[in-house]
Amino acid sequence: MNRIYLDHAATTPLRPSVARVMAQVALETPGNPSSPHHEGRMARGALEAARRRLADVLGVPPGWVHFTHGGTESDNLAVEGRARAEPRGAIVISAVEHSAVRETAAHLAGTGHRVIVLPVLPSGEIDPGALSEALAAPVPPALVSVQAVNSETGLVLELGPVLERATARGVPVHVDAVQALGRIPLPEGVALLSLSAHKVGGPRGMGVLVRDPSVALHPLHHGGSQESGLRPGTENVAGAVGSAEAIEAAEEERPHEAARLGALRQRLETALLGSVPGLRIHGSEGARAPHILGVGLPGIPGDLLPGALDLEGVAASAGSACRSGTTEPSPTLLALYGEGAAAVAPVRLSLGRGTTAEGIEEAIPRILGVFERVRAGFAGAG
Amino acid sequence: MDGGRNGGRERVLVAMSGGVDSSVAAALLVEAGHEVVGVTMKTFCYDENQGPTRTCCGLDGIMDAKAVASRLGIAHYVFDVEEEFTRDVIDDFVDEYARGRTPNPCVRCNSNTKFRDLMKRGRALGCDAIATGHYVRVEHPADPAGGPSRLLRGADHQKDQAYFLWGLPPELLPLLRFPLGSLDKPAVRELARARDLVTAEKPESQEICFVPTGDYRGFLGKRLAPRHPALEPGTIVSLEGEQLGEHRGYAGFTVGQRRGLGGGFPERLFVVEVRPETREVVVGPREALDAGSMVVEEVRWLAPFEGSGPSGAPVGVQIRHRAGSVPARLFAAEAGAAAPEAGAAPPSRVRVEFEAPQSAVTPGQSAVFFDGDRVLGGGRISAASRSPLRRPPSPSAHPR
Repeated sequence: MNRIYLDHAATTPLRPSVARVMAQVALETPGNPSSPHHEGRMARGALEAARRRLADVLGVPPGWVHFTHGGTESDNLAVEGRARAEPRGAIVISAVEHSAVRETAAHLAGTGHRVIVLPVLPSGEIDPGALSEALAAPVPPALVSVQAVNSETGLVLELGPVLERATARGVPVHVDAVQALGRIPLPEGVALLSLSAHKVGGPRGMGVLVRDPSVALHPLHHGGSQESGLRPGTENVAGAVGSAEAIEAAEEERPHEAARLGALRQRLETALLGSVPGLRIHGSEGARAPHILGVGLPGIPGDLLPGALDLEGVAASAGSACRSGTTEPSPTLLALYGEGAAAVAPVRLSLGRGTTAEGIEEAIPRILGVFERVRAGFAGAG
Repeated sequence: MDGGRNGGRERVLVAMSGGVDSSVAAALLVEAGHEVVGVTMKTFCYDENQGPTRTCCGLDGIMDAKAVASRLGIAHYVFDVEEEFTRDVIDDFVDEYARGRTPNPCVRCNSNTKFRDLMKRGRALGCDAIATGHYVRVEHPADPAGGPSRLLRGADHQKDQAYFLWGLPPELLPLLRFPLGSLDKPAVRELARARDLVTAEKPESQEICFVPTGDYRGFLGKRLAPRHPALEPGTIVSLEGEQLGEHRGYAGFTVGQRRGLGGGFPERLFVVEVRPETREVVVGPREALDAGSMVVEEVRWLAPFEGSGPSGAPVGVQIRHRAGSVPARLFAAEAGAAAPEAGAAPPSRVRVEFEAPQSAVTPGQSAVFFDGDRVLGGGRISAASRSPLRRPPSPSAHPR
């Protein structure tokens, strides 16, 4: 059976152009960028060229762009790095953050750091009262961290009011824009921004943290001055070049690709809604990024659907997977929809560059068949 | 191996614990040409058992199952049944000890949690059959209309696990495949080695999966209320009621046990009875353990019940793991209602009369009824009687 890959929010296939430039850099620039010789300078040149390219795409000075080992690391560095730099200021996060932010904040709370979680309305609005309260503390927060696009639902969070009010109070804002990249315009005027290359056809294991240098940030690793001292360790030059290639391409394609994916997502959503009674569409109360369709099926265990779809050749995901591969009730869905969210089995279907109209048409009957069989298996079975 | 009844390629769900047996079961099904789907049940919270897990149920078990599935090139999923497992197995385990009885949690799990859940999930995944690495056999009629499937002891009677499977939902029997039923353990290890499976040398799990240390008392202490009577000191008394000593709580005492009674007794004494209402542990000589009959409750049947006559049904009965079966007669218990007529619902409570007295018939343990190697059904022992045998009218028939 041919496979239909609908898990682009998890990762995307490498772009051939990215593979080519990475192979070239890996083979032709053998030096260490920190080395004081020709080979080192070659590597340094390639690394800095990648940084400049990204800076152009993102509209920031090159010195703001830092390569990390992934989106999760970028989030950790932003959140924990700010907490270390401003130990007295609270870390303020939204209730629907990715675990890279949520669990870093929880870890900090466990060490005695003040952490405030802001409720998020189903529309994507951050609870304004809670935000006011957090910002009004005698010691201003060290950071406000809010996702641009929620990874489970596609919900676009309303960053405008947060940015405006936090900035007015002199509080830096971090935006995890991992799911926004290449799908919706990236936010401007943020102090810290996390990106991940592999969500848009770049290499896995590469992230970017954009940082306004006026915002103090402590590194989490030690032993080198690379990446302005924020990420010590010999740089992954080929990964940096591949990331720049992928992110540049994704941002160039964005207007056209967003419209294309939005139409395919709409087709899929309409087909599922028309045939599955009681189906919930997550994130539909607000604006959504075009590539994610989060749905919820009532009355069945939450861990069953990805496997059932997998066996019919459809790659999708459920909530956030834990290490053993089981799924826990999603904190995001609980935050948005309350305890009722725990009663539905979530499935996230996410589209990307390789998704075609034919693929969606082929996927629809398979998904409907699985939903029907799973419901039949559990209806009345106690 | 008893492949599919239709002889064709089936989509088979294999319950993979991360142990060597289920690993080999999966491998054999793959080699028989089936589409194999590996599934590991996450049954309880790992956080309660810090440190390296030695048993199949730990996170290591999940990782090993994934590694084997990857080696075999099959799909593998993890399903979370923690809530059901806690309710049906762990809570029951604690309740039973609190009542002074000795539970079989593996039986509870197989009867109520594991297989029911496998069946539902197997259906949802579009599977035609369900397989495990148990050492039992199942015989399916060549023609689907040719009568019920039969559950049999494993060919290797040393390893046979039929004792743990009497509570299977009968409707599940036709779907079951047991690829190891005709093999013995050394052969299974050899098959695992030959296939380079990471689980080939994994030690046998000896303890109950959710108490990997074997410290039941410590486990019960965490689960029961702090001053639960089962954990409070009580007296050790003789059959005649004479106080012989003290114990630190009756939870964990099992009929027939000698250890843990403390020394200093003039003769070899065994636990004969646990009396939760008075917190007494009754001890006596070995002969006091002998029982001529017992009552078995919560009985489930995998074969038609034929004990409604006045002389009962001759069966083999097994009252503990690895014990083999002994001849006995089985009667529908007079539980307020008349003995069921032929064709009526089979009894859920039976009285069992042993041909010869049995030692340490333990309330809470399973009793499993056999016709030769075939499992007829089973239940939980609720009471044993030391009273002399009541001879049935026609004692000639002997169980096969």
